[in-house]
Amino acid sequence: MHRHGCKQWVAPCALLAALWVRWAIGLGSYSGQDTPPMFGDYEAQRHWMELTIHLPPRQWYTYDLQYWGLDYPPLTAYVSWLCGIVGAWIDPSWFALDASRGIESEGSKVYLRSTVLFFDALVYLPALWLFVRTWLADRSARTQESAFLLLLFQPSLLLIDFGHFQYNSVMLVGFTLLALNFFETGRDLLGASCFVLSLGFKQMALYFAPAIGSYLLGKCLYLGPAQGTRLFLRLAIVTTLSVLLLFLPFLPPFAPLPTILDPITRIFPFARGLFEDKVANFWCASDVLLKWRRRLSAPALMRLSTLLTALGFLPGAAGLIYGGWRMRIVGVAEESQKPAPTLALLPYALLTSSMSFFLFSFQVHEKTILLPLLPLTLLLSGASAGEGSETFELGMLVSNVAVFSMWPLLKRDGLGVPYIALTLLWNRLAGYNPFRACPNSMLQYVSLLVHAASLGLHVLELLFSPPARYPDLFPVLNVLLSTPVFALTWLWSIRRGMQVGWALGGPSSRTKDSKPAAATEKSARHDDKIQGGHAQAGMRMTSLGYAQGRRRHVPRNGRSASISSAVSGTSQGGFERS
Amino acid sequence: MQRTRATTPTSPSSRPFPISEPIHPEPIPEQEESKPEAKPSRWKYWPRLEPAEWDILIASTCLKLLLFPAYRSTDFEVHRNWLAITHSLPISQWYHDTTSEWTLDYPPFFAYFEKLLSVPAYLIDSRIVDLNNLNYDAWSVVAYQRTTVILTELVMGVALLRFTRGAADTSTQKIISASLFLHPGFLIVDHIHFQYNGFMFGILLWSILMARNDNKLASGFLFAVLLNFKHIYMYLAPAYFIYLLRSFCLSPSGALLPMRFVSLANAVIAVFLVSLGPFLLMGQLPQLLARLFPFTRGLNHAYWAPNVWALVTAADRVLLQFVKGGRIQSMAVNASGVASTSRGLVGDTVFAVLPNVKPIHTFVITIAFQTIYLVKLWRAPTYKSFLTALTLCGYTSFMFGWHVHEKAILLVLVPLSLLAAENHAYFRTFMIASVAGIFSLFPLLFTPAETLVKVVYSVIWAIFVFAPLHRRVYEFPRSLPFVIIDSVEKLYLAGFPLLQLFVTLFPIATQHSASMEFLPLLLTSVYCAVGLVWAFARLSVIYLKQQY
Repeated sequence: MHRHGCKQWVAPCALLAALWVRWAIGLGSYSGQDTPPMFGDYEAQRHWMELTIHLPPRQWYTYDLQYWGLDYPPLTAYVSWLCGIVGAWIDPSWFALDASRGIESEGSKVYLRSTVLFFDALVYLPALWLFVRTWLADRSARTQESAFLLLLFQPSLLLIDFGHFQYNSVMLVGFTLLALNFFETGRDLLGASCFVLSLGFKQMALYFAPAIGSYLLGKCLYLGPAQGTRLFLRLAIVTTLSVLLLFLPFLPPFAPLPTILDPITRIFPFARGLFEDKVANFWCASDVLLKWRRRLSAPALMRLSTLLTALGFLPGAAGLIYGGWRMRIVGVAEESQKPAPTLALLPYALLTSSMSFFLFSFQVHEKTILLPLLPLTLLLSGASAGEGSETFELGMLVSNVAVFSMWPLLKRDGLGVPYIALTLLWNRLAGYNPFRACPNSMLQYVSLLVHAASLGLHVLELLFSPPARYPDLFPVLNVLLSTPVFALTWLWSIRRGMQVGWALGGPSSRTKDSKPAAATEKSARHDDKIQGGHAQAGMRMTSLGYAQGRRRHVPRNGRSASISSAVSGTSQGGFERS
Repeated sequence: MQRTRATTPTSPSSRPFPISEPIHPEPIPEQEESKPEAKPSRWKYWPRLEPAEWDILIASTCLKLLLFPAYRSTDFEVHRNWLAITHSLPISQWYHDTTSEWTLDYPPFFAYFEKLLSVPAYLIDSRIVDLNNLNYDAWSVVAYQRTTVILTELVMGVALLRFTRGAADTSTQKIISASLFLHPGFLIVDHIHFQYNGFMFGILLWSILMARNDNKLASGFLFAVLLNFKHIYMYLAPAYFIYLLRSFCLSPSGALLPMRFVSLANAVIAVFLVSLGPFLLMGQLPQLLARLFPFTRGLNHAYWAPNVWALVTAADRVLLQFVKGGRIQSMAVNASGVASTSRGLVGDTVFAVLPNVKPIHTFVITIAFQTIYLVKLWRAPTYKSFLTALTLCGYTSFMFGWHVHEKAILLVLVPLSLLAAENHAYFRTFMIASVAGIFSLFPLLFTPAETLVKVVYSVIWAIFVFAPLHRRVYEFPRSLPFVIIDSVEKLYLAGFPLLQLFVTLFPIATQHSASMEFLPLLLTSVYCAVGLVWAFARLSVIYLKQQY
C-alpha cells in the first residue's frame, strides 16, 4: 500500500472493508432463527423495539416479562425506541405490538442488521480511530494503521454483534473506549459521562467500573487536595446528573416513585442462580468436580462469588489509587487537563477487573468474555507487529481462546463458517501463527498446546457424537480448556499492572521536565530492556508499547508489512526486506 | 524465464544460480523477488507463494466463506441438478433428461466435471445427487457447492501467479493478477449468483499464459479444452484461430510449417474427440448441439445487456413516445412492438418504430467487425496484438451478439485487464469498461441485503486497482480534443455513484406505483451501454493505430 503511494487510502479502505465484513457476516443466520416459540437474542432486541414504540416508558419494564421482558438499562430502551420508530415508518408490520412476535421476514432482517451496522459505525468505529490517534499518537502512521486494522476485525465482537445479533459494540467497546479516549486527552468529565452512558446501555459495563472509578479517584488524589477535591466534586455531579438524566422517565415528575424499582430489579437479576449455560469461568469449570450448588446455599454462593470478585479486581483498583496517591503533586494549574500518569495502568486494571468479574461473578454468559477482550485487544494492538513479545503472544492466544470458548454458542447460531473465516483472517492480519516451527518461550509452548488442543477438540466434535451419558461433553471440555487460559490472563494482568506501576513510580517519577525524560524514553525503546522506564512522558509507551521495547527487526518474511496489505489485494508489502 | 531455462540442457538442480545470468543481457526479474534461501530449481515448477500472495489468498478465501449464506440464483439449482443428472444417469441420458426444467446445456467436459464433483457430493449428502430432489437447499449442498467454486477458482489463482513469474514488469503484473483474482465480477457472478467462471477463466488465462511463454501448442490445446467446458468462449475463437495459424503454423515469411500444423490440428481434434466422441458413437450429436445452441430466444435478455442493442432498443422506446405524442407523423408504428419491449421481459424483442433485427443481421455485423481486427492481427501476430485482438473479438460479440447475457462482459474484462497497464490510453479504456461492466452486473443481485456487499466490494476493488495503476501510467492529455474527452469521461464515471443512489432510492420513493419499476434497470442498462460502447470504440481505435 505505502509502496504504491496509496497511503491516504489505507484508513478509508480499512473502514470500508470492515463495514463490508460486518455486513457479510450479517448475511448469515442469527441467534434463534427458525426456533419458535421463544427464538433468541435477535427476537429479544426486535421485541424491545416493538414494545418501546407502543407503550409508555413506565410499562417498558413490566410488560409481559415472560416473553423477552426488557432487562437492560434505559439507554438500550431509548435506542430500541429510535430503531423501532424508524423501522415502523418503513414497514409498520415489522414492529406491530404482539402481532409481530417472531417475525422473520427478509426485510426486517435487513433492517435490524443495518441498525447494528449503523450504531457500530456511529460509535465504535470513530472511537477506535480516536483511540489509535490518541493512545498511539507517538507511533508511526504505519503502526497506527495496522493497530487500527487489528482492532477493526476482532472476531469475537464481530461474530456476536453481527452474527449472533447484539449491540455490544455500542455499549462495551463503543462508549467505554470513548471514555478511555477522553481520559487520555484529560477530559475526565466527558469520559465519566461516556462511561455512564455505557453503563446505561448495558449493565455489564459494571465489569469495568472498579478500574474506571479507581483511575478517577487516583487522579483526584494525584492532583492534590485543592484540585483533587474540585475534580472529585465535578465528577460526582456530572455522574449523578447523567444517571438521573438516563432514568428521567422513571422518576417522580414523569412517573410515580416506585416505578424506578422496575428497571432496577430487571437489570440486576440476583435470583437467577450462579450460572446457567456452560461458561468458561471459575464456577462452571470447578463445578465439574466440586458441585458447588449441592454444597452451598444460593445466598452463600452469592456472597462467596462477590467476595472473590472483589478480591479479584482489588489489585488493579488498588494499584491505580495507590499510584495516584504516591505520585501526587501539589497545585500545578494545568495538570487537571492532562491525564494522570496512572493512565498507563488503566488498560491492565480494566483487564484485571473485567476478567475477575468474568471468572468469579454471578450469572456470567459466555458472550461476556467480550469485556475482558476490549482492554486486551487494545494492549495487543499497541504491540501488534512485534514478534516474540509477551503481550502479543498472550493477546493472540486469549483472543483465539475467547472466540473458541464461544464456539458452542456460535454453533447453535449456525455461525460455524464465519467463525472459521474470521478467526483465520484475524490471525493472518496479526501475522500470528501458533504452529510455527520452533517455539522459543514458555508462553509459545503453552499457546501451541492450547491451539492444538482446541483444534483437536473441533476435529473430535466433527467426527464423533458425544456419548449419551454426557451430552455436554464437548462444551465441558471447551470450558475446561478455556478457563485456565483466562485465569492465566487475569494473573498476568495483575503482574503486568504491578510491573508497569513500579516502572512509573521509579526514582525519576517526579521529574517534571519531560523533555530529557522523553528523549531517554525514546532511546530506551530501541534497547532490549526498558525496565524502569522513566517518566510520564513515555508512559503510553510503557503501557501500550512496552512490548515494542523489543523493537521488531522487520521479520524477514515481511509479516509486519503485510498487515496493511492483507486487504489491499494489490500490495507487495511483503517484499520489504532490509 | 521459463523460455530461457528450457533451452539450457543442464538439469535445473545442478545448475548454479548465477551462471544462467550472463547468458541473458536483460536482468531477470524473478531473481529479485525469489527468496535467497529458496533453491532456484524448486519454485520454477512449484511456484512458492510470497507473504503478500498468501495474504491475498487467505483474505479472499475468508471473505468468500462469509458469502456462503448469501443470495443464490437459479443457477445454483441448475448446477445441483447437473450433479444429480451426471451422478444418477448413464452418459447416454445426460443430454436427454428433462426431469428438471434446468436441462444440461453445457458441453461434455463440463458434464464430466460435474460428474467428478458429484462423487464427493454423494459421500457428503446423498440427497444432493438425487435427481428428483428438486430445489434442494439444505446447508450441506450450499456449503458443498460454494466450496467447489472456491476450490476450482484456484486454477485461476495458479495461472495468475504464473503470470507474475516472468513478467516484464513484475510489480505491475502483480497488481493486475491480484485485480483479476479479486475481481468483483467473479465475486458477484461466482460466489453470490453462482457459476464456475473463475475455474473456466482460469483455463483461458492459462492458455493466454502459454501464448505469452511462446508455447502455442499448449495454448491452442487449452483453448480447445476450454471450448468443451463452455461454448460461450467461441466468441474468442476467431482470434485464436488467426493467431495460431499465422504465428505458429506459418513461418514469418508465410510458408506453411506442416509439422506444426499437423500437431496443432491433432491436439485440437483429440480434445474434441475425447469430449464429443462418446456422444458421436451414440449418435447423439444433433441432440447435444440442439441443447447447446437454442436459437429460440430474443434479441435482448430480460435485463438488456449493456450493448449496442440496448441503446437501439432504448432509442426505439424514445422514438415511440415521440410518435405517440404526434410530433413525428411520417413513421409507421408496429403495433406488436408497442407492447413488446416496454417491460423488457423475456421473449422476442419487436421494435415499434425502428426496423427489426434478425439473428442473421447481428451475425453479419459481428463477423464484419471481427474481420477488421483479425486482418490487423494477421499482419502483426505478436502476443500483445493477439491479446488486444482477443479482447476485441469478445467485445464485438458482446456488443452486437444475439441474446447476449450481461455476464458475458467478463469475456471482455478479463483479457482487457491484462492490457490495463500498457499505457494511459489502455488504462483509461480498461477503467471505463471495468466500471461500466461491473456496474452492469449489479442487477444480477437484486436483493437488498446484497446491495451493500456488491457496491462496497467493488469500490474497494476499484481503489486498490485504479489508484496504483493510474500512478504508473498517467499521461497528461496533449491537445484540446483530448482534454475534452478526458473531462467527459471523468464526468461519465462520476455519474455512477449518482446512478447507484437513484437505483437504490427509486423503489423506496415509488413504493406504491408499479408502473415505473423497470426504470432503474433500463437506466442502468443504457448508462452502462454508453460507457461500454465508448470503451469499445476507444479500444478499436487504439488497436488499429498501434504499431507492433
